[in-house]
Amino acid sequence: MSSSVIKSWADAEDEIPSPEVTTNPDGTKTVISYRLNTKGQKVKITQKIREVKVKEKVHPLIAQRKNWKKYGKEKNTPPGPDTRTTQLGEKVDLKLGTSWKEIEKQEEETKAEQSAQLVSTQRIKCRTCGGDHFTSKCPFKDTLIGEANSASSTPELAEPGLSSTGKYVPRHLRKDATGNTVARDPGSRDDSNTLKVSQLNSIVDEDMLRNELFTKYGPLQRAIVVRNRETGESRGFAYVTFMSEHRAEEALRDLNGKGYHSLILHLEWPKKRK
Amino acid sequence: MRPIKLMGHERSLTQVKFNREGDLIFSVAKDSTASIWYSSNGERLGTLEGHLGTIWSIDMDSETKLCATGSADLTIRLWKVETGECVFTWEMPSPVRRVAFAPDDSRLLAVTDQVMGRTGTISVFNINYGGDYTQQEQEPEVVIETRTDSKKVTVAGWTANSEYIIAGHEDGSVSKYNSKTGEFIQSVQAHGIHNEEKVVSISDIQFAPEDGSYLITSSKDKCAALIDVESLEILKVYKADAPMNTAAITPVKDFVILGGGQEARNVTTTAESQGKFEARFYHKIFVDEIGRVKGHFGPLNSIAVHPDGTGYASGGEDGFIRLHYYDKSYFEFEYDTERTERAIASGTT
Repeated sequence: MSSSVIKSWADAEDEIPSPEVTTNPDGTKTVISYRLNTKGQKVKITQKIREVKVKEKVHPLIAQRKNWKKYGKEKNTPPGPDTRTTQLGEKVDLKLGTSWKEIEKQEEETKAEQSAQLVSTQRIKCRTCGGDHFTSKCPFKDTLIGEANSASSTPELAEPGLSSTGKYVPRHLRKDATGNTVARDPGSRDDSNTLKVSQLNSIVDEDMLRNELFTKYGPLQRAIVVRNRETGESRGFAYVTFMSEHRAEEALRDLNGKGYHSLILHLEWPKKRK
Repeated sequence: MRPIKLMGHERSLTQVKFNREGDLIFSVAKDSTASIWYSSNGERLGTLEGHLGTIWSIDMDSETKLCATGSADLTIRLWKVETGECVFTWEMPSPVRRVAFAPDDSRLLAVTDQVMGRTGTISVFNINYGGDYTQQEQEPEVVIETRTDSKKVTVAGWTANSEYIIAGHEDGSVSKYNSKTGEFIQSVQAHGIHNEEKVVSISDIQFAPEDGSYLITSSKDKCAALIDVESLEILKVYKADAPMNTAAITPVKDFVILGGGQEARNVTTTAESQGKFEARFYHKIFVDEIGRVKGHFGPLNSIAVHPDGTGYASGGEDGFIRLHYYDKSYFEFEYDTERTERAIASGTT
């Protein structure tokens, strides 16, 4: 093969000193050349070069053919592979062996497993418990949903239009100022545990109902003092929903006709109840 | 190993071939240009322009001076490889499916297709190396017509001494003819007997790289067969799970490479993994499948092995040629029995 020494590219520059070549005693060459960098500064480059002649014996016909001129579609293209027609492919494996089928099968299986894991860890997240399954398949579906809802109730007071997660909550599902969800559709509401408390003093509010008047009868599902829309002043009656009908009955029996904040309470089942 | 992708063709490849020294790869495709590549770096030396239809086959003489292409445009063209000039054109009555130079370079065979009311033939032309190669005889020296008891010839090749022509037929049989007289000598049913496949057409024939004393045929019946040239005895049968389009015998190592895959017309209707578009390596003697090389996304139409045994090139229906050079592990692979046998042999001597 014919080998040609590539001359330094710096040769072309005229204001730059020509490269100095010194031969070292160990047979290597030191080439000191200069060039201008992008800022216009002169840069000194010192290269140590060892020249090795690699002799390759090829068939004389091959050597002859190496020097053929290109023709056809390749006419006038520069020497060397053209990236339009010649590219390196991706690495492929050839693992020779009688058990190649099993090995390949195993590899495919592990790959499938890995991709399945990726899918489950990256894409699926339960909205209820945060686990790697669909929300509808959550094992805590029945137990956790209630908690999740109540947990998001506190910060809501500041921004009534938004829930804690920033999602829009329709008006009829929003909590009111006291932390109760007001169901606007009377037809769907279960009134069996509810009592109407009338002849309340106007100073009585929901907290007082929950924490003073009805503490004996367990926590209240709901306590609403009906107020004047404009002034917010109590209209003197309230609806109270107990956890059970039994509790409501107890409260009705005990408190009906008793005095509370200078007035005699009147408790009754709401009107719709037969 | 990292293959070199040769992407000079616009349509599916029909044949790829190394020259005798293995420094050039010749490839033909359905896009009517032939390409010649340097095998060392994948650089394209040039293209052969002039055909007007699919080129089915290409072959070159032993010194890579001339190459011939057989095309569906009813011509065989003879080209000077150095310059890419077409020096002669033979007009044929029907499409040319296969061309092959005799090992002594003196003659060229051409298999013509049995279409358009023509009988399929093997025509043998004399090649005149005098002058600038343009003085060739238009008429073939010998014409072997399809025998009445057989189906048309699909592929053909020369025995090492250039005396006989071995032909593969559409009915899966392999027959031997005298190349001088065209006389039929013998025939063997090589395909269609190993399984129940209906289509048994022979798709490729390649001779042993060392001495040409045996050959391999691939067939649409999902098998490849190793056949002795002298007696036409079936030596080995390699079974695959898809129609095979090509088969090659590797030098240095005792392997054969099979290529094929699902029929091209079914490719778009199934997943890539179903297509079986891999080069399959079988052990030549133990007949086991020992490995596969992925890469093509269409069936493999032609495989050629480097004469030095250092690599192979495959041309696919996808229009790409992939040129592979083997890793070290390829040369180190041995069966346990081979290894022990060698150890015993070296121990006793």
